Amino acid sequence: MMTTSRTLAVGTSFVAVLAALAIAERSLVRTTSAQGDLVEAPMFEVDPLWPKPLPNGWLIGMTIGVGVDSEDHVWIVHRPDSLSANETAAGQDPPVAACCKAAPPVLQFDAAGNLISSWGGPGAGYTWPASNHGVWVDHKGIVWIGGNGQGDAHVLKFTQDGTFVAQYGQPGQPPDSNSTTHFGRVAKIFVDPQMNEAYLADGYGHKRVAVIDADTGAFKRYWGAYGNKPDDTNIGPYDPDAPLAQQFRTPVHCADLSSDGLLYVCDRPNDRLQVFTREGKFVKEVRVAPRTLGDGSTWDIAFSKDPEQKYLFLADGKNEKIYVMLRESLEILTMFGDGGRQPGQFFAVHSIATDSKGNLYTTETYEGRRLQKFAYTGIGKVPRVQGTVWPKR
Amino acid sequence: MPRNYLAVASALTLAAAVGCGYAGQRAPTAAYDVDPLWPQPLPRGWILGSVTGVTVDGSDHIWLVHRGAASMTARTEIGLGTDPKTAETCCEPAPPVLEFDAQGRLVGRWGGPGQGYDWPLSPGGLAVDGSGNIWIAAAGAPAPAGRGRGRGTGGRGGEPATPPPAPPPSDAHVLQFARDGKFLRQIGRPGEAGGQAALNRPSGVDVDASANELYVADTGNNRVVVFDAGTGAYKRHWMANGEPFRSVTCASVSADGLVYVCDRAANRIQVFRADGTFVKEAKVAAETGGSGAVWDIAFSRDRDQTQLFVADGQNQKVWLLNRDTLEVTGSVGAGGRWPGHFYAVGSVAVDSAGNLYTGETLEGKRLQKFVGRR
Repeated sequence: MMTTSRTLAVGTSFVAVLAALAIAERSLVRTTSAQGDLVEAPMFEVDPLWPKPLPNGWLIGMTIGVGVDSEDHVWIVHRPDSLSANETAAGQDPPVAACCKAAPPVLQFDAAGNLISSWGGPGAGYTWPASNHGVWVDHKGIVWIGGNGQGDAHVLKFTQDGTFVAQYGQPGQPPDSNSTTHFGRVAKIFVDPQMNEAYLADGYGHKRVAVIDADTGAFKRYWGAYGNKPDDTNIGPYDPDAPLAQQFRTPVHCADLSSDGLLYVCDRPNDRLQVFTREGKFVKEVRVAPRTLGDGSTWDIAFSKDPEQKYLFLADGKNEKIYVMLRESLEILTMFGDGGRQPGQFFAVHSIATDSKGNLYTTETYEGRRLQKFAYTGIGKVPRVQGTVWPKR
Repeated sequence: MPRNYLAVASALTLAAAVGCGYAGQRAPTAAYDVDPLWPQPLPRGWILGSVTGVTVDGSDHIWLVHRGAASMTARTEIGLGTDPKTAETCCEPAPPVLEFDAQGRLVGRWGGPGQGYDWPLSPGGLAVDGSGNIWIAAAGAPAPAGRGRGRGTGGRGGEPATPPPAPPPSDAHVLQFARDGKFLRQIGRPGEAGGQAALNRPSGVDVDASANELYVADTGNNRVVVFDAGTGAYKRHWMANGEPFRSVTCASVSADGLVYVCDRAANRIQVFRADGTFVKEAKVAAETGGSGAVWDIAFSRDRDQTQLFVADGQNQKVWLLNRDTLEVTGSVGAGGRWPGHFYAVGSVAVDSAGNLYTGETLEGKRLQKFVGRR
């Protein structure tokens, strides 16, 4: 088994990061001006007025999934029940104030940022997740949704107008990472159009990747870290100085397949990405911000839209960064974003997706609660640490 | 790719004003656009907690005070601010008092515990006096805001509307600092017994520079108290006219010497002369429950101060009122986390050019700027 650890390369870039931060400390105002160490990378700037304001006094809660369909429509899933009664005062009975109400859990925006449809919630014939998590629109236009709540052991398929299509996995089952009949609080779904298979980041309860037939839900294969057989034994909290864990730590938070058939898995609390073949053969791994504890650093990824998918974008909701990486080497070229509630800043950036034009979309969970757009502005020279990427006035 | 963001932002305030009228108070479009790229990003991975006070000084510098780590979730929000650290590059609480210039650059920051004074368990509002010194109210640790899986806390503003009986109050004072953060004076002491000068979780302050008097919204005692801003000596106080104040959160003095008092949970503004003589009152968004609609008041900067701005952290907007008639003439904002939206907007201030600045408490945690449309 080949183990290509990229810790050294990442460590080097973090030296650069720390140096840049030290320079930034000399001035109270952080600038994005060059610090000398420029690198060629795709560039982005936040669109602060995208999307358009929601209608009906609607609010979104923790927003824990984003996907882009073939028409560049942007889909999100959020948790209406994460909104406090104070925030949804207009939705109480009787209403307490004129503002606000919880939006339906699934929202679709057009490329201009207009809300064009909304649906979701319990219905006949399926079990709506106790806690929504992850949205994916596949090559046939089907909308997939996972769930990481108590008893969420299944994934759901809907048409784009919200009509129920299928439910795979038996809800209510306790975690068993070697089950072939249910899942364990699935974080994200990715459908491989070529093989018509769905890859499940499985999940908050299980320590594995699970693969099912995208049309029938038939269980096909699964594996754990390094391709090992998953083991549900509690291995305790992540220790950056301990030998690398031979199992995923929950949650396994993304499992996205590149156009050349490599699967990138977010082993979130272990602060690493692991790369596999479609069949689950381990290829390589990279540690990212490896001293990050708790929630971890590797929350979600998306690929650049060039045919080779030269770049990989990694969302880190603990350090509040988007890392721009070279997919082949897994080297971090640059990072942007920072903590805060202003445009281009994050609190718990959770999910990331790209559209056909190369624009990035992010969503934030916890109290961040936003969908944001970062417009792609081409390839150019940027600092290793960009800070908040604002458009020029 | 330069774009005129203010022009684009017009649509936002238009939609907000049309979409969220309330109980017969549907307001015409307010002529303000959010500036989404103000202030500049903070350095050092600093983030804001719940903002409890915003004011503008004589140089059009914008000041805020926020609750810092006490209003943040250690596990998820401030990985650089815990011991041991749990993150590599973000974030930690910014110092509690921040000063921005008109361009939105951070030009000063200070605050926190020190020798000779009691830093508030939770700050409330802040104000600049005629000498350019900064007054900060010590508003007391607030109760959690509402149910739900999110968490919320707030100094000025937030639930419950009726303060719990908690004598002796743990925050019972106001503080004066020089603009560089040097401690100057404390009025009141936590745990200090009774007396007409004793404060109880005051959440708002304002200064009448012409009389050199400090007005305090003494929330826990349901009254307005006036001190000599030069000596700190108690001068006078008064209670509500009619029904007692339910939660008095501001006492703002106009240039013509009228005192506008926020009775937040009663959705009520009461107006007094400087000696406490009642003049008039008005309701704003009268049917609002919860924390109420009248959280903070600022005046327009025209000579006659013809407009009032009322921060309403329950309906998530800033109301515009005719100061003479106290009628609502418009509003700015709507609920949400995007620019120009609000969660728990509890503070409002105006600069000499007429720009509005808002502070959001609870989980809003922002300072925002709104520019008058010309």
